[in-house]
Parts: sequence; structure tokens; C-alpha cells
Amino acid sequence: MSNRDYLGEFEHIVILALLRLADRAYGVTVRQEIETRTGREVSIGAIYATLDRLEAKGYVKSQFGEPTPERGGRSKRFFQVTAKGMSAVNRTHRAVQRMIQGLDLVANLS
Amino acid sequence: MKFQASFVQPPSVAAWLVDLFTPQEYAESITGDLLEEFSALASKSGVALARRWYWRQSAKTVVGLIGTGFRAAPWSMVGTVLAGFLLLEYATTLPERAIVAVIHLRNHHVTPFYDSKGLASHLFWLNNGILIGRLLVSLIIGCFVAVAAKGREMVAAMTVGFVSVVITVMIFGVLVAKHQPVDPTFLPTILIHQFAGSCMIVIGGVIVRESRSAMSRRSSGV
Repeated sequence: MSNRDYLGEFEHIVILALLRLADRAYGVTVRQEIETRTGREVSIGAIYATLDRLEAKGYVKSQFGEPTPERGGRSKRFFQVTAKGMSAVNRTHRAVQRMIQGLDLVANLS
Repeated sequence: MKFQASFVQPPSVAAWLVDLFTPQEYAESITGDLLEEFSALASKSGVALARRWYWRQSAKTVVGLIGTGFRAAPWSMVGTVLAGFLLLEYATTLPERAIVAVIHLRNHHVTPFYDSKGLASHLFWLNNGILIGRLLVSLIIGCFVAVAAKGREMVAAMTVGFVSVVITVMIFGVLVAKHQPVDPTFLPTILIHQFAGSCMIVIGGVIVRESRSAMSRRSSGV
């Protein structure tokens, strides 16, 4: 993967949710974090499709937790951002900041 | 590890649909996450609301997973669907050829249908035997396609079914437009047969997917 790759909009949001949740990041918490902070209802399928793509790019890694009764004996899959994922987040932020620089966004909105 | 399901269960059809379309590597996580949120919502806001939420999440998840099935591995999906379609095109004529050959052999060498009973049997096999044979062939091809598209069984089987209907309609349209000797009133019958064939392809996908899920559940003990 080239070091010029930027994160897509939803990839960016999902990675930021993983960073906010730290070691509590799995499907349910990621979905709820995104819903609470963005007010956007997302499906669990969309979260996993994005996490799958990010994992294939090496931006996140996952590991299974213990099976729990409230999940019908199914395990949680915990996700964590890798160093490569952190570089991609920073690269994307820098690109966005460079694009924003010099724009009076508040004035344009009013 | 075995757990007793003592809590409220989510809508079984919705849960089954999610299970059918979820890639196996994420099946446990997605169904577990949905169940966990459903249980929490049911105890907090009531079962009816939780059930509505579950249906909404399931529908969005299934639609999303169908799209992801193509985006995640586009070339292998296109290859599987193309191979399935070509196999279908070749194999759907086999029952007709086999039945006609058997009837031909029987009429000439065993019991010619010079009586009404023989003629009725001849017509029955020509009318129904070929259709039944085609449906069975479609089911088997649906199974083959699903086996080849490991993890995306339903998406591949549904696509082959859809493509076969679309291409049949296109070919029929071209023949009618070119004033070939095709009676346009045959279209509804052809469409019904083709749709039945597509349903059998999808059922083939369901059979393979369910078998794989059952094996996976047995090995993980859920």
C-alpha cells in the first residue's frame, strides 16, 4: 500500500472511533460511538465491511475475546489501530488541514 | 462452550437472513453484536422496539453485505458468476437431450407409443420431465457456485440467478426485434420457468451456506 493513501470518509470515522474506545473497541461499542457522536445511524454490517477493508490494508488488527452469555456464547472481536493505521490517520488529517487552511468556514456557513 | 438462551430471542427470520449473507469470518462477531444490542434494547425499551430495531439493522446489514460481496473480491466474484452462468447455459439443455434420447430409444426399440397411454406418457415426460430436470440442474449449479464462492455463497448464487433471467429476456427481446419465428406470448411462460430456475439456484446457495454454518457452529460449539 502506498504511503500516499488517504482514508475514506467512513474509514476515517471508524478509525477515530477505535482510537476513542481504545481497548473497548468491538462492533457494538464502535457502532454506538459513531451513532452518538455523529448522529448517523449505521449498520453493524457497514462497520464490519469497513473494518475488514482496514484490516486488509494493515491499518487495524483484531483479536477475539471470550464468549459471553448475552451474545449467545459468541465471542467479541476487538479491534486496535496499528502504527500503519496511525500514519494513515495523521496523513489524512494533515491533508484535510491543508485544504481547510485559509478558508473562513464559519463565515461561509452563515 | 455452550450457553443456555434464557433471554428474549430476536426475530428468527431476520437472524437467519443475516447469517446467510454474512461472510463466515465475521459471522460470529456480527450475529453476536446484533444479539447483544438487541438484548440490551429489549430490556431497556421493550421487546417490540428491539424487534423493529433488529429488523432495520438486519435489512441494512444484508444490503450492505451484498454490495461488499462484490467490492471485497470483484474479480473472483465475476469469475465465479461467469463460470456458473456458462455452466448453466450448457447444462440446462442436458435434461432435454437425455429425456428426448430415452423417449426416442423407448419408442423405437421397447414400446412404441401407438396407443393413447404411450402418447400420454411421452407428452408428460416432454412437458414436465424436462422442466423438473432443468430445475434440478439449476439447484446443482447453485450448489457449485456457492461452493466456489466461499464466504459469499448467497451473493454469488443470487447474481447467477439474476443474470440468467436478464440474459434470457435480452435474448428473447433481440429475437423478437429481429422478427425471428418467436411468439411473444411465450415470454410469460419462459419467464416463469426461468424465475423458478433462478429460485433453485438461490436454494442451492442456501443449502451450501447452511451446511457450512452448521459445520462452523459444530466446530466452535455455539
